[in-house]
Amino acid sequence: MIKQVLELLFGADPELRQIIGVTLRMSVMSTLISALIGIPWGVAMGANQFKGKAILSRITNTLMGLPPVVAGLIVFLVLSRSGPLGKLSLLYSVPAMVIAQVVLISPIIAGMTANIVSLRAPSINETCAGIGINGWKRLWLTIKECRIPFVTSVLAGFGRSIAEVGAVQMVGGNIQFKTRVMTTAIMMQTNMGRFELAVALGIVLLIISFIVNSLVHRIQEQTLRDRTA
Amino acid sequence: MKRFALVVLCVGLLLSAAACKQEPVNKVIQMSTTTSVNDSGLMAYLQPVFEKDSGYTLEITSAGTGAAIEKGRTGDADILLVHSKSQEETFIGEGFDETRIPFMYNFFVIVGPGDDPAGVAGKATAAEAFQAIADSGSQFISRGDESGTNTKEKAIWTSINIDPVGQAWYESTGSGMGATLTVADEKQAYTISDKATFLAHENSLSLLLEETDDMKNTYSVIAISPKRFADTNAAGAQAFIDWLKTDTARKMIAEFGVAEYGEALFFNMD
Amino acid sequence: MIALRDVVQQFGGRVVLEIPGLQFLPGRRYGLIGENGSGKTTLIRMLAGTSRPTSGIIEGLQGKKVGYLPQSPYAFSFSVLENVAMALDGRNDAKELAQKALVAVGMESLVEARGERLSGGEAQRMALARVLVRSYDVLLLDEPTSSTDVRSMDFIETTLKEYVEKTHCTLIFSTHSPAQALRLADEVLYLEKGRLVEQGPAQGLFHSPEDERTKAFLRHWSLNS
Repeated sequence: MIKQVLELLFGADPELRQIIGVTLRMSVMSTLISALIGIPWGVAMGANQFKGKAILSRITNTLMGLPPVVAGLIVFLVLSRSGPLGKLSLLYSVPAMVIAQVVLISPIIAGMTANIVSLRAPSINETCAGIGINGWKRLWLTIKECRIPFVTSVLAGFGRSIAEVGAVQMVGGNIQFKTRVMTTAIMMQTNMGRFELAVALGIVLLIISFIVNSLVHRIQEQTLRDRTA
Repeated sequence: MKRFALVVLCVGLLLSAAACKQEPVNKVIQMSTTTSVNDSGLMAYLQPVFEKDSGYTLEITSAGTGAAIEKGRTGDADILLVHSKSQEETFIGEGFDETRIPFMYNFFVIVGPGDDPAGVAGKATAAEAFQAIADSGSQFISRGDESGTNTKEKAIWTSINIDPVGQAWYESTGSGMGATLTVADEKQAYTISDKATFLAHENSLSLLLEETDDMKNTYSVIAISPKRFADTNAAGAQAFIDWLKTDTARKMIAEFGVAEYGEALFFNMD
Repeated sequence: MIALRDVVQQFGGRVVLEIPGLQFLPGRRYGLIGENGSGKTTLIRMLAGTSRPTSGIIEGLQGKKVGYLPQSPYAFSFSVLENVAMALDGRNDAKELAQKALVAVGMESLVEARGERLSGGEAQRMALARVLVRSYDVLLLDEPTSSTDVRSMDFIETTLKEYVEKTHCTLIFSTHSPAQALRLADEVLYLEKGRLVEQGPAQGLFHSPEDERTKAFLRHWSLNS
């Protein structure tokens, strides 16, 4: 079996490559859109005190823990032929998977962003007020100061996206050459008793996770060193 | 002192466990079957009666046909109940003196949208129906999971010299029958299904073609040989096979589904 | 003149500051002393406008230019020079003025260093330069030398005195050191548990406090230093 796994990994198995391609396309799209939604949402929560902040952060925390199958179910019902957006015929397509993942990931990015911002915002706000810098300019400075940790929250979102299986199975349908991604393919191959492709994909997934985690770790170490130097 | 007593107790338990192994009868039969058999409800219906008649306990696990047969190879089953002739023959061909015992059959059905754009209804064979689907370029959803249903579907495509994989109108879900029917329903596409799962599944698709000769679906049992694994429960597996041949079992199989769907879902082999 | 009237500040139902009446005269230097949690920071933040009183009025700050140095100022992740020049955004001579201000706090050797790499004391001096680079009517400093080493202390205090003389601003600062209040302030205010206990000319309050609580605080402080 090891030989077959290595052949799959280092050979040019077109299906393996295709699955990795779909997975990366889906995860990169999901992460980018989630970052576009999650970062402003998190900055709004972390940078300011406002009415309704407590309820908004409670909602965000709930959404951060949303079970993927629930997100999948909601998106499924919305995109289903008989659902409100059924006319778009998006179900069982990569865009449908991206939508489900954005539902899952943007709250996670928002929550992490809010934490990052709220660590620095009080000090930045006081400092800026003391020298007459206010409004948008102050907000822009806050975002600039948080840009490196923001990368970690986006990478965490990407890691989540690439490893997620429940929601993408439900709204993507695991269709060969179209919506089959690494996780759903591993599940399917295991159910079929064909472990070679499953193990090969598992290795690729682990390698990607390892790279993403190493990046996050390096960035965190770097910021820590800068702050305590 | 307390600890010593505990050690003595443990050793005693181990010895008695070893002694138990000497007993001739293993009461538990591990059966590996396919999701479609399990989803139809047939085993849940037969199991209590078999257990009462024989005194054995059945532990049933279900997976796709490939994985279901794989459990025979890994020693995780005493008996297989599957429906994929070619894969079964590969398995018994591995040289452990096992036999495949066909005991019942039913028919696959071709289902699809009610307006039937490819004109499947009324075709004489599944091969003709598949040809019509390919010719019209109508959407077809395949399970693509090496299950018995999928094996049958691929055999039909091969018989008409069409390789549908990669065609724009052909999509493979790699999922179970229920999930595949949901996809077909959403896309208003054709698919091939076992009748029991189709009837039990809620969808808007129509049954377009059934009971053609090339959609016959034969279910077999294979007892795992002690030559493969010495500790396999061969006696239990044989007891189940013998029970399937009794009048009680044959009558139950013939009656299964009649009350709910108005027709039999499985037919006994002659 | 800045005046506080019936000012009360509560956090979570707890009164952290309660001042029935207080005035700050223009051009004078005021030093706030007291234990941690006595309300020094709260008072300065309310004057700076970064904290609103729960009730009461603060008058005399409308239209005034107010500069404020928080207790833990933020060092931005760009160069020290840019950190200071940011307070003069838009001015052509921002960099030259920033350079001068950094010399005045003894940081000329660190002009090119990045803000996030500074030590606590360096960051505080840089932030002081960032405030002093502009001129204000009112200057609020919350423990401006809390992280400064003793050798730089005298230097910083001289810079502060020169700044006040040059700009004629009202200086209100808090400090954990009554001796610093004596050196820098015309008037000293002793706060305890959110209340103003005693206020008076620096020399008088330091050498012959009237209130028993002030006496106890100063005695305790001199024994410990």
